[in-house]
Amino acid sequence: MPSLRFLLVLAMLPLVAIPGSARQDPPARSPRNASYRLEATLEPAARTLSGSGRLTWRNVARRPASELRFHLYWNAWRDAKSSWMRELQLIGDTRFRARRPEDWASIDMTRLAVAGGADLLPRLKFVAPDDNNPDDRTVFSVALDRPVAPGETLEIDLAWTSHVPRTFARTGALGNYFFVAQWFPKIGVLDDLGWNCHQFHATTEFFADFGAYDVSLTVPTGWLLGATGREQARTDRGNGTTTHRYVEADVHDFAWTTSPAFVERRDKFESPGLPAVDIRLLLQSEHAEQAQRHLDATRAALKYYGLWFGPYPYAQITVVDPVTIFNARAQGESTGGMEYPTLFTAGTRWYAPWLGSQPESVTVHEAGHQFWYGLVATNEFEHAWMDEGLNTYSTARAMAETWPGRFVTVERYFGGMIPWSYADVRWSRDVDGSRLNTFRPVAGYDAQSTPSWQYWPASASQISYSKTALWLGTLEKLIGWPTTQQILTTYFQRGSFRHPTPDEFFAIANEIRGQDLTWFFDAVHRSAAHFDYAVSQVTSSAGDSTVVVRRLADGIFPTTIRVRFDDGSTMDESWDGRAPWRSFHYTRPARIASVQVDPEHVLLLDLNYTNNSWTARPRAETASKRWALRWLTWFEDLLLTYAFFA
Amino acid sequence: MRAPALTLGVLGLTFLLALPLAIALRGMIEEHLGASLEADRAAAEWHAGWAAEFGAQAQGLGRTFTHEILGFGGTLANVSGLLERRELNPTLAGAIVAYVAAWIFLSGGLLDRLARGRPIRTAAFFSACGVYFVRFLRLAVVIGAVYWALFRWLHPFLLTTTYDRLTRDLTEERKGLLIRGGLYLAFVAALAVVNLIADFAKVRAVVEDRRSMLGALGASVRFVRRRPLRVLALYVLNVLAVLVILRLWLQVAPGAATPSWWALFAAQLYLLFRVWARLSFMASEIVFFQGELAHADYAAAPEPLWPDSPGVEAIQNLTRQN
Repeated sequence: MPSLRFLLVLAMLPLVAIPGSARQDPPARSPRNASYRLEATLEPAARTLSGSGRLTWRNVARRPASELRFHLYWNAWRDAKSSWMRELQLIGDTRFRARRPEDWASIDMTRLAVAGGADLLPRLKFVAPDDNNPDDRTVFSVALDRPVAPGETLEIDLAWTSHVPRTFARTGALGNYFFVAQWFPKIGVLDDLGWNCHQFHATTEFFADFGAYDVSLTVPTGWLLGATGREQARTDRGNGTTTHRYVEADVHDFAWTTSPAFVERRDKFESPGLPAVDIRLLLQSEHAEQAQRHLDATRAALKYYGLWFGPYPYAQITVVDPVTIFNARAQGESTGGMEYPTLFTAGTRWYAPWLGSQPESVTVHEAGHQFWYGLVATNEFEHAWMDEGLNTYSTARAMAETWPGRFVTVERYFGGMIPWSYADVRWSRDVDGSRLNTFRPVAGYDAQSTPSWQYWPASASQISYSKTALWLGTLEKLIGWPTTQQILTTYFQRGSFRHPTPDEFFAIANEIRGQDLTWFFDAVHRSAAHFDYAVSQVTSSAGDSTVVVRRLADGIFPTTIRVRFDDGSTMDESWDGRAPWRSFHYTRPARIASVQVDPEHVLLLDLNYTNNSWTARPRAETASKRWALRWLTWFEDLLLTYAFFA
Repeated sequence: MRAPALTLGVLGLTFLLALPLAIALRGMIEEHLGASLEADRAAAEWHAGWAAEFGAQAQGLGRTFTHEILGFGGTLANVSGLLERRELNPTLAGAIVAYVAAWIFLSGGLLDRLARGRPIRTAAFFSACGVYFVRFLRLAVVIGAVYWALFRWLHPFLLTTTYDRLTRDLTEERKGLLIRGGLYLAFVAALAVVNLIADFAKVRAVVEDRRSMLGALGASVRFVRRRPLRVLALYVLNVLAVLVILRLWLQVAPGAATPSWWALFAAQLYLLFRVWARLSFMASEIVFFQGELAHADYAAAPEPLWPDSPGVEAIQNLTRQN
């Protein structure tokens, strides 16, 4: 792949162009071709944010850039006409339309110029490359006087004003809590095919180039502030505000949060064979008792992802416990469960039962995104499965490894006031961790290889998160964990600080496995097919037995059929799973005792595993009696509850 | 405690009404499991993977089979569902309507029996049921409309509009929960007031042999208004009794692995106490009323005699007039 090598070599050359403190950073690990030096001031009462700064951008593509494209993400929440809003309306979600005017967002450019050169602001033109929506203002383009040649660096001066919304999509303000993400004009990604700068969509996230960030944020004095990177300086400006300067290199985004109500905890991650990491935890005061749970979960992610895939390379990580949204209708959306480089938001409740998987699952997941997103920076607009799916799989594995048998299902009642732990409904990696139950109803909605922003909005997360976790789990059972781990480690090593594509992942899988797995990826990734194999018919008498198995869905997957005879002997049959049905005939004195299709439950994507087996001694009657009696008493209880009205 | 037949009878009715649906559900479960080996695990413990598969393909009644039927969680889910206005499965809703109607029918007999303070024959019990059924049905229309209005307007006003207004800028869940708890209390208090007035209307209808249910309602309101604290104390004591039973149920509610028949026995025992608490509630209201405006074991109407249905009584009255 000469083009990739070329890009990498090109990327590592002109690091001296990065201004300010970035020069003091360790040797570049990434291309650092989109670096920002920004200053911003937050006025909490007015909820305004004004910023300015300089972007240093280097063209790493093999084509000249005659225009620049930028994201203005907050304009997705400017009104109900943006593509983001329209996509929600498409699935009947109109909850935001009732928002008050002050709860919406906006971001407007006030300066855009080539440093020491042309004023580009008059040329600013909103574009909608994905859907031609003329009302969408989340991407703008500016034509340049002179194209930027490959390898050439351009400095752009920026200034903007914005209104911080009531929380939308994990961004915004609630009371004095501010979580500020996607907040500055961010340049798109230029590759050999042109600008990859999608509009903001309701179900997809982001994509940006790596760079060095040097950001000074001015907020009220006394407010705690957490941000991507590490704080370098703090200056009291004497007017009731303080400026915090944060710096980080080799990251592709910068997010921050501030609130006077945070409680701060600090800890250190240390594990043999892995670099130490400072953990900074900013907690809501009402969650102070859960600090250890957050820290333990962060450590678990750093440890297992570090051991399995590769070490976390930054010196610190900031964990933000966001304000709990217990009434989304009134308060706004949660800012929890979101990842940014070296900083992420977790999420918990005031009373979080020890047996419940919150906050551990969300903390491990978002900490895990430091690897699958932060370091391996795939295109979330187009291939959301590459970060969300790989991370869901990894989260489930890390959870099972760290807390085996601890978690159970927790439901909340009375508007969330009372959590109840169902001790008999244990958390399982395959069902809960891989989210099989959320995937099942939407299994055939979209082929995963479709660009993620084109997924049906209501099922996008299941296709990205759940399906990938399920097929990676299937792959792990098919080829074993050591090989799967080697694939992921190799992919992590080659993909870190880059934007690898799906084809690179598949090529690595083929290379490590030593055989062509295209059939597998065709079945699980490039198709919307779903899977359901079943035992259809068994007839058995002494000396003559027949088994018929069927493929009930369009998905094709090779499998094993295990036939057990009543003399204790067992036959394993291989079936390529292609034909709609297959029969097996046996002439032996023993009768068939049981039949199982896929006895090891390799194919986690099989939507109905109950029909995968047959036994000569069925216990359905016992089971049905057991659960019907339980249901009976539950229903009597319900009847007596309603007797109140008699 | 002095009328065990009533308690057992009501529990029996509850059981019998639930049984056909349980049998139907059993058929669905059995059909889904078929000859699958998954039944082995499902027969031994809660098999979450299978249960989810069952739920995904289930229609109607089958969709109510979730882990929320297990143990005390099921009880919490039921009460919460009611107070959260969670939509009911249509089949269950139909059964609940039938059950409430059965309660309305039985209420006359139950109250008459409890008012007299002594055993009456089965025939007399059902005769009283018949005597008061139409009256209580008329009362139920009025009270039902009030309950409906509470759920239709007061509930959203408190738990949506007011709750939203009060929590809009809250950043502490604790405070939000306190607010929600307070609003629940307000809503439950409104339900309780209506419930109390309806109860005393029925008590007065039986003890004073009232024919006009609007008159009985008015009399009930006056009765409650003139002694609010003592009526409230009585209501709270009865609610506390129910809470004690729920607390005990929380302690002993069987887990999924408990053997079926033992789980059934424990649950029926709990339900028996629930029924007993409900009947004790009625009895305490009768005794309180009799203590205030009549005397112990007083009932204005003569003890109903089989086959003295309202029709026979009307004929007798006509005969006497002639």
